[in-house]
Amino acid sequence: MIDLSFNRVSKRYRIRHESEETASRHPLIRKWNALWTHPEDFWAVRDVSFDVERGEALGIIGHNGAGKSTILKLLSNITTPTAGEIRINGRLAALIEVGSGFHPELTGRENIYLNGAILGMARSEITKKLESIIEFAGVRQFIDTPVKRFSSGMYVRLGFSIAAHLEPDILLLDEVLAVGDASFQKKCLDRISELKEAGTTIVFISHDLRAVERLCQRVLLLKRGQIVMNGPAKEVIAAYQNDATLSSESVEVHKRGETKEVEIRTLSFLNDNGQMNPVFKTGKPLIARIDFDVHEAVNDAVFSVLLFTSDGESHCELTTEFSRDSLSLQRGKGSIEFRTDELGLLPGVYFTSVHVQQRGAQDVIHYQYKSTTLRVDFDRVVRGNFFLPHDWQVSQVESDEVVELEVQNK
Amino acid sequence: MTKRRPVKIIRPPSFSIAGFLRDFKGLWLYKDLLYTLSAHRVKVRYKQSVLGIAWAVLQPLSLMLIYTLVFAVFARIPTGGTPYPVMAFTGLLLWTLFSTALTSSTNGLVSHAHLVTKVYFPREILPLTYVVAALFDFAIAALLLAALMVYYHVAPTINLLYAIPIVLILTCFVTAMSLAFSALQVRFRDVGVAMPLLLQLWMFATPVVYPLSAVPQRFQSLYSLNPMVGVVDSFRTVVLNGTAPDLHGLGISAILSIVLLPACYIYFKHVEATLADVI
Repeated sequence: MIDLSFNRVSKRYRIRHESEETASRHPLIRKWNALWTHPEDFWAVRDVSFDVERGEALGIIGHNGAGKSTILKLLSNITTPTAGEIRINGRLAALIEVGSGFHPELTGRENIYLNGAILGMARSEITKKLESIIEFAGVRQFIDTPVKRFSSGMYVRLGFSIAAHLEPDILLLDEVLAVGDASFQKKCLDRISELKEAGTTIVFISHDLRAVERLCQRVLLLKRGQIVMNGPAKEVIAAYQNDATLSSESVEVHKRGETKEVEIRTLSFLNDNGQMNPVFKTGKPLIARIDFDVHEAVNDAVFSVLLFTSDGESHCELTTEFSRDSLSLQRGKGSIEFRTDELGLLPGVYFTSVHVQQRGAQDVIHYQYKSTTLRVDFDRVVRGNFFLPHDWQVSQVESDEVVELEVQNK
Repeated sequence: MTKRRPVKIIRPPSFSIAGFLRDFKGLWLYKDLLYTLSAHRVKVRYKQSVLGIAWAVLQPLSLMLIYTLVFAVFARIPTGGTPYPVMAFTGLLLWTLFSTALTSSTNGLVSHAHLVTKVYFPREILPLTYVVAALFDFAIAALLLAALMVYYHVAPTINLLYAIPIVLILTCFVTAMSLAFSALQVRFRDVGVAMPLLLQLWMFATPVVYPLSAVPQRFQSLYSLNPMVGVVDSFRTVVLNGTAPDLHGLGISAILSIVLLPACYIYFKHVEATLADVI
């Protein structure tokens, strides 16, 4: 049974390039000019076909601008396709940015009715679920207070609670899981899993590859508005990650004041056996190795490797900065290895930057950005944000011995 | 699963009779949203104001007092026997319904851009809720009209029943205008800016604060092409004179409204298809 089908769907946007000079002119003059210039066609989605079976969870991934959000907008009927046909078999609901339909002057209760109706629930249905919605959101005490007096946390919880009670046949998920605190996110995910187990068809559009892999069996990879891969989640995500590695070419970013007495040649990642670029897994050893050339001797040099998440946020650092030994470099070639026995990083793709500088100096000697990426594969599931290396010990005292001890004490 | 599932097919926008009927059916599915949102419009409007719902009465009442001062005390225009205040109030009652609905709904789509780009529902609901809210105000203000009629000893007759179809025709017309102007406002924000001026001119081109008889005979045929003319004049006739309305004038309003409503709805739906891309 097919719940959702895209049949050769395309969406075109027309873009008119306006030079700064014409952009400032009067709208009527711009209209007149537009008559003589050809608009540029931009196909946000081009000739895309796919089906989603009932009860299936489909993930859609791709770089920014690949057409993910356009597909979401087409599915939820916010915009219409330029060509093709979309068939939706069942009641579809999109988990939109929570609380975007709230009216600040109305009370929590009134807003439940309002937002529920916007999401397509009948009044009778909302009345039936009202208690459960209030309970789930945990805002019973304030339910008759205008929502403008709500804390932002209450706002978000109430918004999600309404959406979570939709019971759609088909659920569209955007990056909604990225909001709220950890316990709230867990609540969201639990509710989504519940819906999935109840047979709801799910389409999940996200950058969060881990979440996609956890939720979806099948994944579509989009590139420039077209499907380039459609298959089991694991394979497609792996292909995407490799692709991400390929496409992020080594970018030479020159920092001001680079003196280049030392030049970094390569950064490579190795495993225990010295094997280059193997499969890395959380909790297993990792060696990061920098090969460099020294053109002029440097006293007290500091090497650092910075790892970034795919969103570009700095994640963690390997550095010689905090060791007491000072590192003096002589002319010639050399290499330095950073080693960890238990890799704390969770699965994902990490970008890197490497730099060498003199301790305490303002200027860097050499800096390399995104020359290498580190990919950590799925192995065991680690909860939380990182894996903390640890060991454990158990100590037990048998209960009758305790009794004996007490007797002796007396 | 025993539950019957709705099947929805999304295609590129194109006009067809079947599509028109489907749109209409889609609107029916969302009737609860129309109700909830309209009720909230009314609530929100008066929630934090001290006078609350009294504003629905105060607005036409204060206008009535001003125009009475100007036209009955200063200018002394002839009204053919009916006391000026009650004559003006019948006109202002209908005019307030029209202008309130139109002014608020024109901005209806643009002011909900955050919703329109995030979730789907038939967008005509937004302007329609303003029409419903204005009708609610109208009903409240109509109570004051009843009080005025008692005060001025105007006895209602059986012809008062004509008021029902007259208000229906007006509702049709204001709905059509609200759909058209709210859709136009998406592309041309000039519409919203020009609206107060347009309404001002329109009011003086309608026998709101003066009787129809004050309009020179040679202008009458052109004048009555304004659908508001037939509506306001007929309403006044059936309420104040207790006689049957001039069916000729009312007929023009009725025909224009009935033709305009589907036309404006089709235009609105045409704009809706690319609304989220443009807004």
